[in-house]
Amino acid sequence: MKRLQDLPHKLADAPDTVLAERAGDGDVAAFETLARRHAPLMRAYARRLVRSPEEADDVVQDALITAWKDIGSLRDVAAVKAWLMRIVGNRAIDTGRRRKSHENFADQPDQADHQASPEDVAVAGSTRTALNSALARLPEQQRRCWVLKEFGGQSYEEIAEALGISVTSVRGRLARARTRLVTEMEEWR
Amino acid sequence: MNPTHDCGRSIEDLSDYLDTGASPDAEHIDYCPQCQARLAGLRSLSAAARDLLDEDVAATADDSGWLDGILANLRLETSAGRLIPLRGQGMDELTETEGAVIALVRSVGDALGGVLIGRCRLEGEIGTASAPVEVRINVSARYGYPLPTLAEELRTAVFSELLVQTELNVTAVHVAFTDMRPPFDDEPDSLGEGRQ
Repeated sequence: MKRLQDLPHKLADAPDTVLAERAGDGDVAAFETLARRHAPLMRAYARRLVRSPEEADDVVQDALITAWKDIGSLRDVAAVKAWLMRIVGNRAIDTGRRRKSHENFADQPDQADHQASPEDVAVAGSTRTALNSALARLPEQQRRCWVLKEFGGQSYEEIAEALGISVTSVRGRLARARTRLVTEMEEWR
Repeated sequence: MNPTHDCGRSIEDLSDYLDTGASPDAEHIDYCPQCQARLAGLRSLSAAARDLLDEDVAATADDSGWLDGILANLRLETSAGRLIPLRGQGMDELTETEGAVIALVRSVGDALGGVLIGRCRLEGEIGTASAPVEVRINVSARYGYPLPTLAEELRTAVFSELLVQTELNVTAVHVAFTDMRPPFDDEPDSLGEGRQ
């Protein structure tokens, strides 16, 4: 058993497919490498879907636990990144749903989230900043659809399933979101 | 956009065109100034979205400490797979797990230069003592290693390790190279002329 100490080095540049196969066979180190590779993206994505960084980290944690449990039955190992992002998306939507029912129960008004502060807007005159604040002003339903599509890379069908709405509604919301975002960004220039 | 002449194409149509690069309406879209302007808007929206996501990722990428705790918890839970009976010294119902055997195969392969084991499957009635078992291994190999030699080395190593460490009646070890990777610049055990 020579050179097993090189394993982390070997795993570091292993493609997702090999890591997903090993993780599916119970190799924790392979799963960890996979998780570290994609966690920053999963976290950024989650933060765009929920209301606080703490909530986002909980979502990523839940998503990784689910992924570790289910990766053995993942058929298309080449699509493991998309699969991880899909789990994050679904978890984030569930979190919103739970929060909403809790808020309704507590009879609290639904607040607009991700309000862009004046400092946010004043940071720089980039299109990125413009998009950031335009996103913050989007109605939550439209923003979610847009984030699931653009950041999560999810299909209309997957978004429809996650949100419990029809594919037609997804297309409609996405179109309204895009129209508004394009308009606001053009006004910015 | 010119409100006096609306061509009537929806943002859905244009989004589809942008996503797929094709549309039954491409004739019109390609030559319509209004559609082109809106397509340009959608394109710069996509570009800004990519930038924003990159920035979001970069903003949190530095701190990896948050992940350590999460991953530490995962270590507690591993899947064992099927049970394999062992002939113990007078003790009944000794078993080892399929997961442990697969982990053993992985470690044998990982110890060889140039290969990284992917999926490993034990085929056969492993729950029945001395039933024939075939091992199937997916392997990622580095460029520059001669594949037939690698396959033979791996087969031999897996055979002998399973013979020593388990009571499985291994009748075949199948090696499939499912992935090729460029060599490390600093790979310590160079194979000389075998490397490119």
